[in-house]
Formats: sequence, C-alpha cells, structure tokens
Amino acid sequence: MIKEYLENWTGLVNTVKIGATPQEGGTRRKTITVGGEKTLAFLFKEGHLPNKPVIAYEIWDIKPIDWPEELTNYYSDVWSDPLDWAEKVANVYKADLLCVRLMGIHPEINRDIDYELNFIKNLLKRVNLPLIIVGCGDDEKDNTVLPLCSQITKNERCLIGEVTQDNYKILTAAVLADGHNIIAQSPIDINIAKQLNILISDMGLSFDRIVINPTVGALGYGLEYTYSIMERLRLAALNQDKVISSPFICFVGQESWRAKEAKARQDEFYSWGKESRRGPLWEMITAVSLVLAGADILVMRHPKAIEKIKEYIELMFKNNF
Amino acid sequence: MEKFKVTFYPDNKTIEVEKGKTILSAAISAGVYINSSCGGEGVCGRCKVILKKGTVLSQPTGRLSLEERRHNIYLACLATIQSDLEVEIPEESRLIFEKLSPEELGLRLKGLYAEVEEVESSMSILENVFIHSPLATKLYLELPPPDLNDKISDLERLYREIRKRHQIPIMQTGLANIRRLGEVLRSSNWKVTVTLGKRNGTVEVVLIEPGNTSKRNYGFAFDIGTTTIYGQLIDLNTKRILSTKVTYNKQAVFGPDVITRIIYAQEEDGLEKLHHAVVDVMNEMIQECIREHSIDLNDVSCVLCAGNTTMIHLLLKIDPSYIRREPYVPTANFVPTIRAAEAGIKINPRGLLSCIPGVSSYVGGDTVAGVLSCGIEREKDLSLLIDIGTNGEVVLGNRDFLISCAASAGPAFEGSGVSCGMRASSGAIQKVKVNPLNYEVKFSTIGDTKPKGICGSGYIDIIAEMLKAKIIDKAGKIILKDHFRIRDSDYGKEFVIAFGNSTLSGQDIIINESDIENIKRAKAAIFAGVSILIRHMGFDFEDIKKIFIAGGFGNYLDIENAKLIGLLPDLENTRYIFVGNSSLAGARQVLLSYEAMKKAGELASKITYFELSVEPSYMEEYMAALFFPHTDSLRFPNIKI
Amino acid sequence: MSLSSLEIYKLLPKTNCRQCGFPTCLAFAMQLAKKAVSIDKCPFLSEEAKKTLEESSLPPIRLITIGKEDAKLEIGNETVLFRHEEKFYHPTGIGVILEDDLPDSEIIKIIKKIKGLEFERIGQKLKLDLIAIRNRSSSLDGFLKVIDLVVKETSSFSLVFMSQKIDFLKKALELYSGLKPLIYKATKDNYLELTQLAKSYGIVLVVSAENLDELSLLTKELNKMGFFEIVLEPQADSVSSLLWNLTQIRRLALKRRERSLGYPTLVVLEDTDKDLEILFASTYLIKYAGILLINTSEPEDILGILTLRQNIYTDPQKPLQIEPKLYPVGTANQNSPVLVTTNFSLTYYTVLGEVEASKIPSYILSVDTEGMSVLTAWAAEKFTASSIVTAMEKANLKEKVSHRSLIIPGYVALMSGELEERSGWQVIVGPKEASGIPSFLKNL
Repeated sequence: MIKEYLENWTGLVNTVKIGATPQEGGTRRKTITVGGEKTLAFLFKEGHLPNKPVIAYEIWDIKPIDWPEELTNYYSDVWSDPLDWAEKVANVYKADLLCVRLMGIHPEINRDIDYELNFIKNLLKRVNLPLIIVGCGDDEKDNTVLPLCSQITKNERCLIGEVTQDNYKILTAAVLADGHNIIAQSPIDINIAKQLNILISDMGLSFDRIVINPTVGALGYGLEYTYSIMERLRLAALNQDKVISSPFICFVGQESWRAKEAKARQDEFYSWGKESRRGPLWEMITAVSLVLAGADILVMRHPKAIEKIKEYIELMFKNNF
Repeated sequence: MEKFKVTFYPDNKTIEVEKGKTILSAAISAGVYINSSCGGEGVCGRCKVILKKGTVLSQPTGRLSLEERRHNIYLACLATIQSDLEVEIPEESRLIFEKLSPEELGLRLKGLYAEVEEVESSMSILENVFIHSPLATKLYLELPPPDLNDKISDLERLYREIRKRHQIPIMQTGLANIRRLGEVLRSSNWKVTVTLGKRNGTVEVVLIEPGNTSKRNYGFAFDIGTTTIYGQLIDLNTKRILSTKVTYNKQAVFGPDVITRIIYAQEEDGLEKLHHAVVDVMNEMIQECIREHSIDLNDVSCVLCAGNTTMIHLLLKIDPSYIRREPYVPTANFVPTIRAAEAGIKINPRGLLSCIPGVSSYVGGDTVAGVLSCGIEREKDLSLLIDIGTNGEVVLGNRDFLISCAASAGPAFEGSGVSCGMRASSGAIQKVKVNPLNYEVKFSTIGDTKPKGICGSGYIDIIAEMLKAKIIDKAGKIILKDHFRIRDSDYGKEFVIAFGNSTLSGQDIIINESDIENIKRAKAAIFAGVSILIRHMGFDFEDIKKIFIAGGFGNYLDIENAKLIGLLPDLENTRYIFVGNSSLAGARQVLLSYEAMKKAGELASKITYFELSVEPSYMEEYMAALFFPHTDSLRFPNIKI
Repeated sequence: MSLSSLEIYKLLPKTNCRQCGFPTCLAFAMQLAKKAVSIDKCPFLSEEAKKTLEESSLPPIRLITIGKEDAKLEIGNETVLFRHEEKFYHPTGIGVILEDDLPDSEIIKIIKKIKGLEFERIGQKLKLDLIAIRNRSSSLDGFLKVIDLVVKETSSFSLVFMSQKIDFLKKALELYSGLKPLIYKATKDNYLELTQLAKSYGIVLVVSAENLDELSLLTKELNKMGFFEIVLEPQADSVSSLLWNLTQIRRLALKRRERSLGYPTLVVLEDTDKDLEILFASTYLIKYAGILLINTSEPEDILGILTLRQNIYTDPQKPLQIEPKLYPVGTANQNSPVLVTTNFSLTYYTVLGEVEASKIPSYILSVDTEGMSVLTAWAAEKFTASSIVTAMEKANLKEKVSHRSLIIPGYVALMSGELEERSGWQVIVGPKEASGIPSFLKNL
C-alpha cells in the first residue's frame, strides 16, 4: 500500500472579513470572508480550506480609458454613470463583491474631491455589497482622498488600498481608526511583502486586517514571477510565519487586459484566433494560475470570464466543501 | 607644463605641482592627508577643503550644498589646480594617523578575549597551545677554536656546534655570511650569536654576530586589513608583547575595498603606490615601536604578516589583477618566507618576512590566522567564526570539516564610509542608550573623552536603540517627527547623537538614513553569508554551539543589540565568544611557533572556499536581510521590537 | 533523497589530495551534490562509497523520451515540487486528440490547423508536441487510416496511439514502431501483453489505474518484466482528486523516493465545456502533468496554454530584466539630464522611482547587464565604459539630448575617466544610493 505523503502544515492563512451588516454596525447585505487556508490550493485531503476564492468586479468612478472593445460590449451602456455601472454588476451579473477604483482623482483627471466623496456615499446607498476601494496610484492624491473615503465609509469594513513600503503610514492610520482592512502592495518581491506587513502591524493594525497584493503579471507577462512569489509566501504562512499569513488580492483583470494577446483583434493577428474568446481566456488562465498559487480575491473585468472562474471554483470545491 | 605652488593649512606644507592636478593628488604628494574613502572619485564627499586663495576648476557634484559652494568649499578630488593656491583642510577632512599606547589597546581588548586581556594588560606570557619555537631564534655559541687535531672548516665547525644543541640535518647559509665568517669568529674569540631562521622547511643561518646578543631577539606580528592595520612588537625569547599599534591602511586613499584597489593597481604606478602605502605604514609602526623600547633595528629578526589575499599581493608587489577576474585565482596563496628587505620592510637587513598562507582569492591568511587562534579545527561541536570587517569572512566547521566564505560588507563597521564613522579609538562613541520617551541620548566614548565620531559598536547600539525607541522603522527610515534631534539632510533625515557644543570638533555628530542604509547593507551581507554557509551544509542555526566574533570593535559590543539589528544569529549569549582581533593573535602564534606555522599551512589547504557570488540564493538571502532584524521574523524568534 | 555535500564528504577519502581538480574533498563533495561533476574524478574512492553515491544520484523521476529525432519529446526528470526551489526542467508535452471516426477531410483540416499553430514569444517558438490518434471508431482500418494520414501530413509531432484493442495497437506498431509512439494504455487487465509488445519495440507505455496503490502495483509488475519506459495515468473521480493524485505522485517520487511512482504523468482532458477544458488543462499543467492530451485545436486555446507552459517552465533563477534602452521620465527634452543604470529591473525601478520623485524630467539609460545590479555587473565587467558607450549608440543618445554629459552611479565612479575618454562626454558621478538622486538632481 502506498502511504500518501501529507505535509504537516502548522500555520494557516489569516481570515479577513470584508463588509459589515446592519447587525455589525454597517449597511451591507452580507459579508465576505477570505483566507483561513490550512493547505495549498484544492488539496482538501491535507487541510481545511474554509473559504472559496472570491471574485470582485472592478468598476471605475469614471469612464475607463483603454478598456478594449471586448469589455466595452458589456459596460458601455453604463459608463455615463458609475453608479449605474455598479448596479449593473450587482443586479445583472450578480456580483458578490465590488472593487471601486478611484481613477478620477488622478492628477491628470483631477476630479473634484467632494464629487468623489459623494459618489462613494451614493454607492453605499445604491449597492449593498461589500466594497473594495482603491486609489489611483498617485501617492499624494491617494493620501489626500483615501483617508476621507475611509472616514465616510466608517464601520462598513471595507478593504481599502493600496499602501506601499514607501507610503504606508497615512492610509494605515485612517484604516485603523475607521475599522477597515488594508491592501498592502509589494512589487513582486517576497521580502518587501513581508517587510510591509511588519511595518503596517507595527503601527497597530492587526494581521487579520491585511490583504496582500503581490502585484500581478498577466499570462505571458511575468505571471510566473507572481506565481512563485505567492507560492513562496503561502508556504511560509503554512509554516507558521505569522507576519506573512495574509490572504492575497490579485488584480487579474487590470493586468490581463493590458496584454496584447487579450486586446489584439483577429484581423491584426490572424493566427491568434478570435479575440472574443481569446480575451476572456487570457483573463481566465491568469486567474486560474493565481488561484493555484493561493489567490483569495480576484479582481476581474469580463463577466463571462468571471462566470467561468466561479464555475471552475465550484467544480474544484465540489464534494469538498 | 606650467607648475603652481599649493600650500596646505594648518599643516603649512607647500608643494609644487603641475597645472590640472587635483588638490587631492597635490595633498598626497605633499604628505598631507585628506579623508577620501571613495578613492578620489567625487563620490564620498569626505574630502571637503576650503579654498583660501587661488583658482580651481571643478566638476559639478551633488556632494556639496549651495551653502558650502558659496563658502568656497570644494571636493579636493574634483578640484583641479589652475593657479597658486592656499587650501585649508578642515578638521573633519583630516586623516589622522593615530598611534595608540599599548595601555589603551590593552584596555580596548579587555573583555573581548579572556586570555588576551590577561596577556595584553599585564604583558605576561602568551597561552601555550603551541610549542615555543619562533620564526627566528638566536643561539649563543662558544666554539672550540680549531687546532691540529680538530681541523674542520669554520662553517662546519659552526654547524657542528649548532647541531649539538638542535637536530638540524640541513642548514643553509648565505654567501655574505660565509664571507664574513672567518673574520667574525676570530675577532669575537669564537664567541658568536647565530640567528636561525625557519625558511620553507629548512633552517638558515640568517645572521652571525660577535658576542652574545641572544637576549635581544624581536619580531613583529602584523594584521594587514583592508581598512585597518595592526602591528605588534614581540620579544621572541619571552613571548612578551611589548607594544601594539593600530592605524588606518593608507591605501584607503586609493579605494575603500579590495576590488577598487585591484583596479587601481592596474593604473600606471598604481601597484607601486599601493605597495608603498602599506609598506610605509608598517615601517613607521616598526620605527615607532623600537624607538619606544630603545631596541636596535638589527635585533628585529623577523616579521609575520596575516592579511587577506589582496593585501598580501600588494605588500609583496605581486600583480593582484587575476584575483578579480573569473575564475578568481590569485597568483599565490602560499608565499615562501623571504627576506623582509625584498618587500621593503626595514628590520635587520637579513631578517625574514613570512605571510600566513591563504585559502583563495577572497579568504586569506588573516582568516586562516583567525581559525588558528580560535582553534575551531580542534572543536568537536559545530563552530562559527565571524570576522566583522570590510571583507566579512565567515568560517563554519569543526574538527571534521571547515568551510569559509567572504561576505563583502564594506568598511562601515570599521567606521569608514559612514558620515560620522571612525575606528574604535579614543573619542569614539561606542555605547549608546536612547530614552524612548523623550529621545534623550546617553553614550560613552573610548577613553571617556569628548566624542569625536562613532565606531562600529556605537552604530550597532544606535540603530538598535533607535528601533526600540521607534525613531526608525524596521526598514531603517526615520519615522520620528517634530523633534529637535531630527533634521532633513541631503542624505535623508538625520538624527543628532551629540550636538556640536559637546563634541571634540565642535561639529554635530549625527546618523542619517544613508548611514543606516550602509550599516543595514553591511550587516545583511554578513548575515547572508552566515546563513548561506549554514544552510548549504545542511545545518540550522540551532546546531551551532560556539560563535567566535572577531573584528576591530572597541572593548564593547552589545550582543543583544547585534542580534536585534540582525547582524548576529538569534542564539543564546552563552554561545558567543569574543576573540577581538583573531588575525593578529594568529599571526603572533605563528611568529612564535613553527608548529603553529605548520598548522596554518594545513588549515589553508583544508579550508574549503565557498564562492558566494556564484551562489544564486546569496542575493535572495541578502535582500531578505535588508531589514531590522530580518524580513523573515522566524529567524529571530526571540527578538521583540 | 539525494545526499547533501556533508554526507558525500563523509564518504570521500578526506585527504585533500586535489587529484580531482578541486582544492579540497569538501569542495569536490559540493560539486557532486550539485551533480556538476562525475564521481570518477576521485581515484581513491572505495567501492562501497562509489555504490552509495551512484545510487543516490539516480533521478527520482525517470526521464522518458517519446518520438524520434526532430519530433522527440522528453519529459520527467523533475527534481522539485515548487519551481522556485530550482526549476521545472522538462516542459509538459501538449497534444491534440484526433478521433479516428471523423471524415478524412475533417481530419486533414485539423492536422493542417495543428501544423499552423506556431507562436513566437520572447524569442522562443511555441508549438504543440503530440498528436494522439484515438480509436473511437472501433475499426482497425479507421485507426490505421488516420495514423497514415497524420504520418503523411506531418513528421514534426510525436504520436500517441490510443486504443482499447491490443490487436489494433499491435498492427499499428507493426507499421509505425519506428516513430517511437506512446502507447495508451496498459491496465491491470492487459498489461502482460502490452508490456511485452512495448518492450519488443522499445517504446513507452502509458500505465493507468484507478488509484495510486494499483498504479504502484502495476509499475512494479512491469519492472519485474524488465520494463521501465513508463508514463503514469492516475485516474480520479473528480478534478480535485486528480490534482491530489498528481501532487501525490510528485511528492512520493521526490520526497519518499517511491520508485514505483517515479515516472512522468499523463492526463487526458474530457471533452466538455471548451473553456473549462482549458482551465483544467492549465491546472494540471501547473501541478505536475508530464503530458496533457486535449480536445481542442483552436488557436486561442493553444496560444493560452502554450504561453502558460512557457511561463511555468521559465528558469526562476534568471533575474528579472527590463529591456535595455533609453527611457524618458516625465516630459524629458533635449536639455534633460541622462542617468545611466543597469537593466536589472529592481535597480531600474528604484532609480525610476527616485527620478520621478525629484520631479525633474530626465532620461534613464538602461544598459544591458544581463539583469545584474550595478555593483554585481561592474564586478563581472558587464557594466563598463564600453557597455555604456554601446548603449549610448544604440539609443542614439547624441540625437536625443543637446548636452554632452552623463550621470553614472556613485558606485562605479572609477570608470568615469575611461568613460569620458571612450564616449567623449563629460561624466558626472552621481550618488551611490538611489535615495540620493532627488537632492543630487536638484543641486546639479
């Protein structure tokens, strides 16, 4: 008889809860819990995997720049108003989780801050899903606007980001005060990921409120670096490295839809096949690879890709949940 | 070529140099020392001078603030001479050539190494691990004069007499000695003293002197470091240490590390200059020591050097360039014993110079000497030797095996390349406490003088204390705001340790973010080297039972703090043993015992060199160590900050 | 498990005689542990030690070769569970299944399509490796006809013959054994005959069983018959069980040295939902399948799965590099300063961050140093005056800026003289640390 080889993992991934129901002092219809893994992806016989990976629909506060036609087909009808966009993914596509990117605050666009805050306030009213709020990537603007967003969504237990090694103090302090969770972003670097978690927790934010964005490379564009960084971090967590036992958030849609292979039309690259399938497939394969590496939250764009990944996850979890 | 006169103050030395030369090169020619840890390339910004009179041309540099430029401050290495000049060298730019009293050194080594403490401070006799049999011994002989029944030649007569005392089948004598022999024997009435030198497996009659000089036999042990040189005068008969001196290696003017010096050696006269720089330092030390003790230079019969491979190449003026090129092979690891005069070392003209053999290009005789003096090769338990110096040599092993690597740490722990750094000598801040409530700083200096700068152990304390007081975060960035000790500078924020009104120079003593980065890198390099060796041999930190710490620290190193910043592994303090300058101790043992010399040779062939630069995981380990104490907190389970 | 340096060292004579060419026995042992040198180099090794060392150096997962010369596929011989531990050596062989009951015209169409599926990505050609002819028709003629069609159309793929009928496989091999096809599949019911067959032709056999116990028993039986050219097909009742089985085979072979499972694996994808098929194929590709047989030849599917394979089988120890070229930062113009650095991505992005922070529009000239950082590249003579001059010429720098000065990292100040000479440009020595860049640029 072959005796199966079971790893004796002693650690586990932290559990992070997003969203707060009225009972918990918020206004969300439900909460989403991620993390808690006691083994590697889908190895159910070895350890408990209490939470399935979840998918967040990515929406913007402005009409997106650079989204290819394949995505436009699904969203152009609601791009005139981001609140409509949010409602569409919530009601039509049955999203579980929403990820709002505040691109409008970027210095090049420079939307009025009050306008942005109003948008968030109305979003809370129109859509009662748990929220992820991310900034535009400009440190200065994010440091100004995100703490205000944190304030007006106080007690909603959002996931807010992102902080980096060079810019973590201001937002961490806000998130700490307003009861949210934080996204710690590191540039495909295992050391910086660990260091940033330590720096954040040194400010008093507990590890169960940190979600790591390891920075994603899409299929064909550095996917393997992210994959291995995540696998290593996850192995460290399972081996009880407490400071790094955070769930992962992966911005799959953003990266996948930047790939030429996802965007290019068949008339440009005939041998690549139909873009209507190639684009979503690019996003899907990227997503599956990262789920295998331990991804907990996937931020995605294409409704069909999202639907398929959900189905994939269900099938993998079938009879095991 | 047009020539100009340059006068340096406060030295008041004038020199004539060609137009277009830099102020720094004029200063070197004039024998005026100006700090320059980057080797005169406009990088370190330490060679600031004030132009009092005259015109210079200077390249642009970010190393000078607008304010400084307005006050006619230039970098000596970038400013080229265009007219007669008067130049003032401010205190902080002066390379001070220190001569430490043996008392002070004895004090400094106190607490580092029990045996040394006893020996150094009380000047008694050394440990007797190896049989006393120095590199050169003197023997007083009263020869029976020849007569008709005993007609063997003078030389055979001499050998016969020597062999009555010692079993020496093969002896050599130089022609010069033989030429003088007949006359010396007769004029001294057949009473002579011979100096026997051990040379490459045979014995040489080095010297034949009339009368009895056997009581006067001296030797020098040197530790030639990249940054620091130690020299010790030893009575070879009694094994007493008579004097110890320490100074910076003057080669630093040509570059801070071995690589830059190897490159410099390629330049015209480069090798010559480097060779002279080190030989000058050694000769000066020798002169100074014998003057203090009224010893005749002729009674100094041998010199024993421990140094890294590059330093030994430069000392012997051997082209070091192949050390740097793949596959990193030195010209020689084992250098035969030669006449000191051949290398330009001034002792008895026929005196000997021997170097402890090295392992490889980057693990030299200084490390072998260290291993020898710590006795790792006799240990049953797994032991580790860490030499916290510029080259950061690490040796792991026991009586079964020995493996070593060199983790290029840079000179930060020796007080070089950091803004207020200095060697562990009088005036150096070596022990620091910071009050976490009000950030008050308390410190002590070597010699209890006013503070002059900060030495390696001081930096370790400061960083640990700043971490504990949350003045810096674990990445080394200053996070404390709105406090009178925190200021902005060109090198990130800085924290004032001592304000000018309490320091020796009147200048503030500070640590800035770039210094912290430097120390962080240095400690990361060493820690990464240690962990790679341990991991590569399939061990855990826990398996190491003894850790010998060597290096030019002061008489103080806070182990807890060294662990807290992640320089040393997180193991119980009882496993740590300080050995201070283990290379110098090893050099001394070899000087005093031929047995130790043979052992050093064995060790050099036995130690396996592990090349970190081709080890893919080294970079990974190094990056992970660039955090306080370490990115991987599991490696420092007992450290709580 | 393979032996560690120290374990090997203990088996050596420990005389440091240097006959092997290494300075010490330990140094030799370290090379042996890395399998970088042969044990024959040591003339004084005892027979016993030699035996121990030879046994320990056997690969835990057998290297299997399918097909002949130009269409040869090598799989197996993997050494790690996670690619970051070392790397994955032999990329998963990917093949398309061709059903033999399709009309000829359809089959020719598919073969042509498969032949056309070649993609070039970052200098590598990506293509499929295998064509599997599956005997769905239950007719020998149909099976042989399709094989014949494939063989006539192309010789650049290894073949898999899939049939439940041993007679059919026997016939096919009589005709095509020279192509060294992979035979699918031996089970507990037919293995005796099939193994004899495979052995006589010297070809590789897929061994299939419902669980790992049976799989292990089967391969042991085959081994007893002197047959080792095996690919394992673990079956499972669900996708997650299959993932588990593939993981177990890899772990048992590597960590427990289970020889009966020390072979590469094969997965045949079910023809279900097209998207899901690719997603499951991706799953098994990442988690240890040696061969994947799929039912699609759509270009977008194949491009996706081949790209994933390229990613996963990339050597993780090669550093992240960026393209070496001139990068403008901000609204750089002809008066902007030019900073020189390497093409190690971490170095480049660090410099970029600081230059951006300075808010002074600049150019960064990234020099090809094979992904090494400044000091490493300098020590290895990859970041030198001449490599910088080459980069300047390639970027046509003299047309991009009107001034003639370069800023080099402080750590390589020593090269400034030579660089000035070679380039004719003025060289300004910048700070050693990227963190010094903003103040440096402001004071320039």
